[in-house]
Order: sequence, then C-alpha cells, then structure tokens
Amino acid sequence: MKETMEETMEEDILALLKENVIQGRRTKDDEGVDGDMVGTPAVLELTQLMVESDIAPEIIIKQGLTAGMQVVGDKFATKEYFIPDMLASAEAVGAAMDILKPILEAADIETKGRFVIATAKGDIHDIGKNIVAILLKGAGYEVKDLGIDVSPEKIVKVVREYKPDFLGISALLTTTMVAMGKTIEALKENGLRDKVKVLVGGAAVSEEYAQEIEADAYCVDGFHAIKVLEDFQKVKT
Amino acid sequence: MLIIGENINASNRRIAEAIRARNSTFLQELALAQSAADYLDVNVGGGKGSTGQEIEDMKWLIDIICKVTDKAIVVDSANPEVIEAGLKQGVSLRAERSNRVAMVNSVNAEKARLEAIGPLVGEYRVDVIALAMDDNGISSRVEERIRACDLILEGLSRYNIPAERVYFDPLVLPIGVDTTQGQVTLKTLEQIKARYPEAKTVVGLSNTSYGLPQRSMINDAFLLMLMYAGLDSVIVNPLHSSTIGSIELGEMLLGKDAHCKKYLKAHRKGLYQEKH
Repeated sequence: MKETMEETMEEDILALLKENVIQGRRTKDDEGVDGDMVGTPAVLELTQLMVESDIAPEIIIKQGLTAGMQVVGDKFATKEYFIPDMLASAEAVGAAMDILKPILEAADIETKGRFVIATAKGDIHDIGKNIVAILLKGAGYEVKDLGIDVSPEKIVKVVREYKPDFLGISALLTTTMVAMGKTIEALKENGLRDKVKVLVGGAAVSEEYAQEIEADAYCVDGFHAIKVLEDFQKVKT
Repeated sequence: MLIIGENINASNRRIAEAIRARNSTFLQELALAQSAADYLDVNVGGGKGSTGQEIEDMKWLIDIICKVTDKAIVVDSANPEVIEAGLKQGVSLRAERSNRVAMVNSVNAEKARLEAIGPLVGEYRVDVIALAMDDNGISSRVEERIRACDLILEGLSRYNIPAERVYFDPLVLPIGVDTTQGQVTLKTLEQIKARYPEAKTVVGLSNTSYGLPQRSMINDAFLLMLMYAGLDSVIVNPLHSSTIGSIELGEMLLGKDAHCKKYLKAHRKGLYQEKH
C-alpha cells in the first residue's frame, strides 16, 4: 500500500515537473507562460525535492525534463511558442541538469554524449548557435561551446583531445559556409573523420550543401538537431 | 532622417539570380520602387562567386541603377576590392551626374578591415558606416561597443577622415534572445552622440524583432525610441509604409517637421490607413 502511494506521488511530481518545463518556470519566482504561478515550486525546486526523495535521475530527465521539452518543441513548431518561450524552458532544464550532473557522474551513468559546437571560421554570428547549445544541454548532452570564428585546426585539436561524439558547426553567411567543408577535410586528413558525427546548420546552409561536404546531417534548428541525434542513438543500439 | 533602402541585396536569392542573369529591368524596378529612400544600399556578395565576378557584378549593378535614378549609392560588401570597384564606378559616372556613391558599408574596429577600408574612404571622400564591434564580434556590453568606436575613429583619423563623415551603428541584437539588448543599443547610441557630437548614427533595425510575433510593430516602436536617442539614419525596406510612416511621425513629435507638413503629407498619401 505504502509503495503504491509513493509511486503515485512520484508520478504526480513528475507530471508537475513536466508541466513546469512547459511553462518555462526555472524557480518559484517565475510566473510562467499561462499566468501567475509565482510562489509555487518550479523546475529547480521540484528537481531538488525529487533528488532528496531518491528518485532516479534518469527518470527525472526522461519523464519530466525531456517529456516537457518535447511539448515545447511541438508548440514552437506550430508557432504557439516563440524563441523567448523556448529559451525559458531550456534554461529551466539546464538548471535542473546542473543539479543532476554530479549525481549522474557519481553513479557512473553515461550522459547522452559529448557535443562540441562552434561557429565556422570567419563567421561571428552566434545567436542561433547559442540557442542550439542551450537546447542540447537541456536534452542531456554534455555541451562544449568553442565560440565564434573557430578555425578547422582548432576544431581538429579539440576533437582529438576532448573526443566528442558529435560536432556541430554553424554558419550564417555563404562566404563563411565553405569553412565547414574545410573543417571536414581537415578531420579526414587527421584520421578523425570516423570518430565524430558532424552536424551542420545556420541560415546559409542547406541539405544539398551538407551532402556536398559530406556532413552526417543538416539541421534546420535546435529541436531538429535533437531529433537527428536521437536517430543516431537508435542506429548505435 | 536619412533613409537607406536595403532591398538590393544578393543575400536574397531572387536578387542574386537577377544579378547573375543580368536582369536589368527587374533590378531597375527594384531601385525605382524604393522612392521613399534617400540612398540605395547595393550588395552583390550573397553568392559563392569569385572576387572577380563580384567586382563585375558591382560595377554593372551601379551602372544600371544610376541610369534610372538620381539617388546616391551605398557600396556594401565584405570584400574591400569590391568596395573599391564600386567607388571607382561611382566616379566614372560622375561626368554625367553628381558623384554617385555616397557611402561605404562598412568598417569596424578590426585592424585589417580598418586598414583596407580606411584608405578607400579617405581617397574617395565618401561617408562610412562604422559598426561598433571588433575582432571578437559584437559585445553584449555598452562599454566595449564604445571602445570599438574609439578605435575606429582613431584608425580613420590616420586617413584624414573626420568624425562627421562617420555613421556609427551601435548594433541591434534580438530582444527575444536577450531582453537587455534594447537598452544596450539605446545607451550605446546615446553615448556615441555625447562622446562624438559631430559623428552620425545609423542602425539596421529588423534584427531587434527576430523570433518574435508582430515584427513590424516592434521594429517601428524601437525606431521611435532610437530617434529620440538621436538616430540620424536608418537602413530599412522603404516599401514598408508603416516604417516610413513611423519616421514621419517621429520627426513630427521631435519637432523636426515644421507645421507638421511631412506628417500630414504622409497622412494624405494614406500611409497610416492600413495601420489603424
């Protein structure tokens, strides 16, 4: 009897966590998308509570955080949500991940993978790249952001030393897009091309261009990137 | 308010194709349609073409535009060689009419860019748009943007370019991504006006509303705030009647429209009807 009560409580609190992700509420002081929820526990407080109640971090991530972000992604796709809504949710999830990360590490549970992200050489546009980085972190990836105007040589060095599973390169301009192809060439020359999956995106980039430079995937936006990564995971297992 | 029309830009696929196909009718119509603008920005660098091709494109484009309009040209390119070609073309057309290129878009505090663009602006005696950024990109902080402006003025002074020929762009980042950015642009603009009273200011507006609904309403509201802070010039789509209407409205409210003549003219032309 006691066990079922606990299970119900666990389900309730997970549903509440998911709802708060959808509302984009990081802490109890945030009001949320739908109106005034100030004062009620939000993603940060609920995650803390669940950790204290010994609920497994994998369950918190999957049934609370990721489930919530999926709904946010759907609402963004249908234009009910806009970039600020999406960022509020992703930041809330990022805060929860900061709480969960040491527990995951202590228990030796693997994250979904290491993701290195950069804006192509010659390009200094980083708004889109930063949004993607926040979303990926929220989706449970370990994200290392190399910033803007990153040379192929630097990327090769990081791939060799940090050993990421995925590499994301962004370019806004057709003039800087070519640096993506050069980066992939440099990875090949250094024998690293099969060590990392390369995802490309940004305003200038297209599916055709991604194929031309032999990237592993073209991503329209951050949510698309998460879906592409999930497909990679399915192939792996 | 000096209005710079932004529509002839090869980052738009249709424009790039028209340039490649040498479709002068289409591009000349585009120039004529921007009648509300004072200057026309001309950019050919949206494609994957070589420098040589971009130079030919720029010369041809300036030539055909100047055949149909008296408006001055703003040469816009990431490549200094293309900018130089545009400036030369403007001079070669001067025999027929007045100097056709009035402005270069753009320079910033990056050393290589300053050293490439500065001599051209000095030699051809044109105005120049100066972006408040350096090698590290666009700072999200006012102080660093002002520091970039200092470096630009210092760099340009070596080519005898006075502050009154410089149009500083304080830069506009999306509010939807960082809500402090409206204030950062406004404060940077105010400080530029206070620090270099002879210098002019300009912005490309539309970035402010990126990712948000009702973009033109946001752009127009922000434009009015920038005008109050001392904006001298704006790069916009002059076909958007609400934007042109906002400019007339702002000038009137700021006391720059004697007897409200321009505002009333805009009203009589029906510029405000679709809005309210």
